[in-house]
Amino acid sequence: MMKLKKLVLLAILLALLPGVIFAGGQKEKKPKVTFYWALYDGLTEDYRASLQDAFMKANPDIQLDIVPVPWKNMHDKITTSLAGGNPPEISVIGTRWLLELMSMNAVDEVTKYVSKATIDNIAPGAMEAKIKGKLMGLPIAAGARIMAVNMNLTSDIPMTMEQLRQDAIKVNNPSKGIYGLIMPGKKHTELTDFVYYFYAAGGDFFAKNPDGTYGKCTVNSPAGVKALSFMNQLANVDKVVQTGYLSMNRMESHPVFYAGKAAYVFIGAWVESAMKQAKSNFKVKYAQIPPFQGHKSTPLIVTDSIAFFKDAKNLKAAGKFIDFFYQDKWKAKFDELVGFPPVTISASKLPQFQTPLYKALGEAALHAKGWPLMAGWAQYSDIIWDAVQKVFLGKMTPKAALDEAAAKIDKARGL
Amino acid sequence: MADTTGSLLVRKRSRWWNAEARLAYILLAPAVIVLVAFMFYPIIYVFLMSFFDTSKLGQLRAFVGFKNYRGLFATSDFWVITIRSIAWTAIGVVSKTLFGLIIALLLNVEYKGRKFSRLLFIIPWASAVPISAMLWEWVYNPEFGLLSHTLKMVGLWKHPPIWLGEPISAFFACMWVDIWIGIPFMALVFLAGMQSIPAERYESAYIDGVNSWQKFFYITLPGISELLMIATLLSSLWTFNDFNVIYILTKGGPGGSTDILITSVYKNGFEWLKFNTASVMAVVTFIILAIVSIVYARIYFRRESS
Repeated sequence: MMKLKKLVLLAILLALLPGVIFAGGQKEKKPKVTFYWALYDGLTEDYRASLQDAFMKANPDIQLDIVPVPWKNMHDKITTSLAGGNPPEISVIGTRWLLELMSMNAVDEVTKYVSKATIDNIAPGAMEAKIKGKLMGLPIAAGARIMAVNMNLTSDIPMTMEQLRQDAIKVNNPSKGIYGLIMPGKKHTELTDFVYYFYAAGGDFFAKNPDGTYGKCTVNSPAGVKALSFMNQLANVDKVVQTGYLSMNRMESHPVFYAGKAAYVFIGAWVESAMKQAKSNFKVKYAQIPPFQGHKSTPLIVTDSIAFFKDAKNLKAAGKFIDFFYQDKWKAKFDELVGFPPVTISASKLPQFQTPLYKALGEAALHAKGWPLMAGWAQYSDIIWDAVQKVFLGKMTPKAALDEAAAKIDKARGL
Repeated sequence: MADTTGSLLVRKRSRWWNAEARLAYILLAPAVIVLVAFMFYPIIYVFLMSFFDTSKLGQLRAFVGFKNYRGLFATSDFWVITIRSIAWTAIGVVSKTLFGLIIALLLNVEYKGRKFSRLLFIIPWASAVPISAMLWEWVYNPEFGLLSHTLKMVGLWKHPPIWLGEPISAFFACMWVDIWIGIPFMALVFLAGMQSIPAERYESAYIDGVNSWQKFFYITLPGISELLMIATLLSSLWTFNDFNVIYILTKGGPGGSTDILITSVYKNGFEWLKFNTASVMAVVTFIILAIVSIVYARIYFRRESS
């Protein structure tokens, strides 16, 4: 028995030994910067790896870990890392998440860590993450949404939604696997495509109070009902959308367009890069998302930012990395791959950003509107998605579904 | 008298703190520490969160009593989700038990290739659940999926539904994947039980002219009844908490029609950062499963003692 006890104690000591040996070594480790890297369509692993290696070569005293994270997992990953007390130094975020992160006191002012030269090179119009005069997120991508047209299937560029419907019906031939229009019907992170039709009808998600804060939800306004009724008509009455749309989210439905099987799609700046990767072999033209008759074109603009997390350890080193990344050599390549127009002034003058796609994006950005910037938007957008799906499934009328959604959202906000 | 009491105490104390017991405590300590840190502490914290107002990072702020419970119980969505969870579990467990029994009976018969069959049947259970779910997501794809393509090709169903896009078909599509993954475990457990039934009982039954159905009901079923109870209890617990299949296939959609308590806990907690609501749902889940376990345990131990 004594021998056995001694053996057990020896085993425990041996197990603890490595920790003792290596504990001393930890003090001499380089500062480590962790960067959660959102996987945009078009962004390659080669680029990520070469950026990481190049920075560490130029800064041998800093350890950089660029962690690729699919967009659909990014919000979860950030919140669980915050809850676990182990946030990354920096992360790509949807700017729409910023208020939520600020309410958690999780993020810090960018100007504390990034050089003035880098910040002054950012186009002022891209600074959506400036909250009450403080820059809480550095813009990394800002792209308006446009309409892509398959010129092999049609030469019609509709100027209104009503005309789009007619043109889609003309092209539609499901027996030959050709569809008029792409419509994602399965819930995904963004409230697209509903927001395209909603903004095209002149809608706003929330009323604005005199002090600039958001009032009650207005998704059930006549604009909302018009948008959702129109979407339902396209999908279930005219049947001009891709087969099985109810089981396809945006990532799953856009490849139908890249395969040359649909005439029209509402899409973002990644379209060219994604079509190149999909080896699409048809001519494409870019146009503005048409408004409904009597309204003006109001596409969606989405900005993503890089946030600095207060409780991370090596924020100054992270700032150094951002200054490195935002040089034209790297940032312009990033913009080319993801297809977003550059947010930096110097890169926007480069010849590769003077193509028809970038011209269309630039024009769209002039009249575009962003998501409501409010904490809790993830939940409210989920509620509206449920309403959209209920209408697609024929369970509710657009008015009833949106009334229910608006009531739920107001209740969730305590209004 | 005093001597007897004193020696009783010494005997009791030495039972709890003799050399062997001390060694056992040392060896158990790491496992206990892990259990307390990674199971008991989070469970207790979730209970606390359900009675507190919490921050978006789950930190406790102010005690609110049953306010979170009252708020959640007042929503109709919660009751719909709870009933759906119970239906999901009931259908899943009954199906897995039936299929498991049938397959176990078939695998219990001697035939050439039986070992290979047993190996094949383990595959769904041996594969990681997320991989199986992703595989079935492709099978259910309306354009390229094997299921719709096969049904159309053989003329069984000219226009199959959009399996994951319509509420009823989505529910049963997710249900089938959960059943498919769970059948092997049930089959193996029942098979093990069947193989431990003495062959003499079947021989005696054969001599007495008992038919197959009677053999099944009077010999096989009673022989595996304890295993049946344990297996169905475990299956109930696992099925009620089957997050992976639903989250990967439909994320609770379309329109919330496949949401069960566990997926709703995840959404509320990690997508919307509403830890109050998520913790109340988690507590309700715990209570339901605890009741099921207690009922099972009472039936099991009552049978044992009788």
